[in-house]
Amino acid sequence: MDENPATAPLPANGPLDGDPGLQPERTALAWGRTLLTLIAASAMSLRWLPDQGPFVLAMFGLTIAAGSGIYLTQRRRYRRSVEGIRAGRLAPDAAAVFWTAGACVALGAVGVWLVLS
Amino acid sequence: MTVPSTSTPPPGSVPRRSRFAEKILPGGTEPDPRFTLANERTFLAWIRTSLALLAGGIAVEAFTTDVFPEPVRRGLSVLLLLLGMLLSAGSAIRWLRVESSLRSNRPLPLPLIGPLLAAGCAVAAAVVIAVVVLG
Repeated sequence: MDENPATAPLPANGPLDGDPGLQPERTALAWGRTLLTLIAASAMSLRWLPDQGPFVLAMFGLTIAAGSGIYLTQRRRYRRSVEGIRAGRLAPDAAAVFWTAGACVALGAVGVWLVLS
Repeated sequence: MTVPSTSTPPPGSVPRRSRFAEKILPGGTEPDPRFTLANERTFLAWIRTSLALLAGGIAVEAFTTDVFPEPVRRGLSVLLLLLGMLLSAGSAIRWLRVESSLRSNRPLPLPLIGPLLAAGCAVAAAVVIAVVVLG
């Protein structure tokens, strides 16, 4: 019998964790909304495609890559949050926070460069 | 069971913090995971706010060619983009400061990016009003 709450097998019926606040689900949805906003914001710059083609495409590709990174880690993120809440301990996802903020700063910097050039 | 267990799990049972997380968040103890997730969602809400400003900055330059004269259009666009960049960086710093306070049980820091957002939006709105009234 595995008594460790983080690695014990998930129950076949009933809730996966004791969190009535649905924290993992809300957090995963917040990441999903952020991914959609990121793509929408950079898609606006496609308007410059006729003038600044390769540069705009490179920037759009960068945000698509960042968005794909968020999308592909969603399942892992949800599972990690559920396990963290069951165990009463969760390591902060510092890398995801700083990658996302960095992508936004880069998007803004490229935007400023495109406006002024 | 409606409340997560507060007892410390045996060592090695939960994935350890990444090396990066240990470097930027040294010391303290792991807070209630619900607080860590709430802090992450608050960061994401700030990031979406800054993305809205970035999208606005790009949209002003890309779609208002017939509405605003060029200097105003460029100025407004750069203002919104710079504000979005500052807020993006500021929201990551705020996430770090809140997480650090949670780890050491200190009171949460005031959000400095709040007044920054308010002031920036007020300036941008004032520019648009001035252009509409005077133009």
